[in-house]
Amino acid sequence: MYCVKCGVRLDDSLDRCPLCNTPVWRPDESMDPTKKFSGIYPKKQRNERMAALAFLTALALLAAFITLRICLHIYGGIGWSGYSMLGIALFYIIVILPLWFHRPNPMVFVPVSHAAIAGYLLYICEKTGGHWFLSFAFPVVALSCLFITGFIALMKYIHGGRLFIIGGSIIFLGGLSILVEFFQHITFATQMFTWSLYVVSSCFAFGMFLILSALIRPLREYLERRFFL
Amino acid sequence: MSRYWFRLDNAALIFPAVRQQNWTNAFRVSITLREKIDPIALQQAVVDLMPRFPTFYVRLRTGVFWYYLEEVRHPPAVRPDYAYPLTHMNAKELRTCCLRVFYHKNRIAAEFFHSLTDGSGGVIYLKTLAARYLTLRYGVKIPAECGVLDWTQDPQPEELEDSFLRHAGKVALSRKEPTSYRLRGTREPDGFLHLTTGVVDTRTLIDTAHKYDATVTAFLAAVMTKSILNMQNEKRYLGRLKPVKITIPVNLRKLYGSSTLRNFALTINPGVDPMLGHYTLRELCGIYTKELALEATPKQMAARIAANVGPQQLFPLKLAPLFLKNMAMRMVYADIGERKGCLNISNLGSTALPDVMQPYVERLEFIIGVQKTYPNNCSVASCGGVTCINMIRSIQESELERQFFSRLVELGIPVTIESNER
Repeated sequence: MYCVKCGVRLDDSLDRCPLCNTPVWRPDESMDPTKKFSGIYPKKQRNERMAALAFLTALALLAAFITLRICLHIYGGIGWSGYSMLGIALFYIIVILPLWFHRPNPMVFVPVSHAAIAGYLLYICEKTGGHWFLSFAFPVVALSCLFITGFIALMKYIHGGRLFIIGGSIIFLGGLSILVEFFQHITFATQMFTWSLYVVSSCFAFGMFLILSALIRPLREYLERRFFL
Repeated sequence: MSRYWFRLDNAALIFPAVRQQNWTNAFRVSITLREKIDPIALQQAVVDLMPRFPTFYVRLRTGVFWYYLEEVRHPPAVRPDYAYPLTHMNAKELRTCCLRVFYHKNRIAAEFFHSLTDGSGGVIYLKTLAARYLTLRYGVKIPAECGVLDWTQDPQPEELEDSFLRHAGKVALSRKEPTSYRLRGTREPDGFLHLTTGVVDTRTLIDTAHKYDATVTAFLAAVMTKSILNMQNEKRYLGRLKPVKITIPVNLRKLYGSSTLRNFALTINPGVDPMLGHYTLRELCGIYTKELALEATPKQMAARIAANVGPQQLFPLKLAPLFLKNMAMRMVYADIGERKGCLNISNLGSTALPDVMQPYVERLEFIIGVQKTYPNNCSVASCGGVTCINMIRSIQESELERQFFSRLVELGIPVTIESNER
């Protein structure tokens, strides 16, 4: 059997192409619903991973439950356990949830993680009676989400020109710091341009340096030699 | 035009990190011809080989995260030989060129910083250099065979590869093993290296080794062990006897069919524990032959390679700046590198030469430098029926050489000794 996408020859026992993950199409065979794994690769490895993730999930649930029980027992309400439970949930969403997937797509998980962060900040804001969520925390988290997702998308889908992307992103990041200071200014009535200009100028200098090194070949080669990993 | 540069191979990473002000890990290969060397023809041969061996005409450079090797614009100038081999290559010299070429009477010698290549790679360079020299000097046409490369060809990609990365196994073997007895002596204050060469007939050596059902390397390791055991017994005042182990490099090219010209050898440390009783030479030969056969297998070596390659490929470690890596490597080297064996016995084996070249060549030698803390080392090379056993030392006492070579004579192997004693 051949992969319809890559054109490579596949072992008969494979259900998916190992290169592009395309399911193998077998028009002459009826689908066997019990067959989940190929005969070549053992189930053990995936099962071990699943077991470890299930254990971590149970551990997170247990930690959340214990904090809730302690808080209920002592204070008769959710109280501080809300922070810790949501903190555990946040950690779980950012770190453990992507591990459940074979190839987690950062274009999905970065926005999901930012949504979780925003939710956690909203909870803190509500519990502490603050008025900073809509005018500061939400826009800053949204900007961060847009920036990181955009950066990952560019790095993932545009081949070549990495130094241009990284340099441009760093300059853009410097520009975002002005916006962050602006939100800080309207929310907390702080003075404008106290710190963001330093960030802008350093990001601009570093970003331009990377763009210039992308343009000047000897400089780029020198940097490659000195900084290769 | 930008210079060609490349990363150090896995084995080469340790050498720049552990080098000291008065010590560098280097080795020498030399070929003795029948007539006096013409330095002008030799210099021309060195220049001609530059495009064929791009990984040898290089200098050591420092990056932010790793060292790297960068091609040099001009080949090294051939020089008259020193009073002793492997004089210290200081940092300035390594930044200029990591290869040296010497001549002395009938002898051509090439010295390599060990990050460039290992003995087998060095011999291929030397044979090609000698072949080119003979062509320039005498007009002899030497075919590209028996390890002599065609200098007019471009280098092959597999000659430039880091074969360690390609052949690393999935499972890493533990590096844990007992430490060995350490040879000691009075260091030469000026860094002079004493070289004692035992020249023996290859056929006699092989026949004697076969009498003990051993390979030549195992036989020499057994004789060396016997000598060290004897020395340890003589010097022992109090306390327990320590294991006597010999570090033996294994050429991995044969195991994996690689033709790389960069480092591709790993060491193993077989040995015996004298606390278990007295060992006869036949017993020692059996132990070394079997241990070498058991250890030098593709699977076992792949697991050893994996243990070395693994840390190099860990992303957090890659991100560590070079000075931190150097500190870590020095610690690893101090703990593992030189405490697991008494000395090296590095046997290049029998080196074949093209038939037309053989009449011009008297012999071929291989000399490894002393280690950072080992005062003694031994290297062996055979060519044209002559085996040269080179013992080098950085201390004044020559007890080990005496015991070793006299034992060989006792076993019926006539040995001709040469030395650079002053």
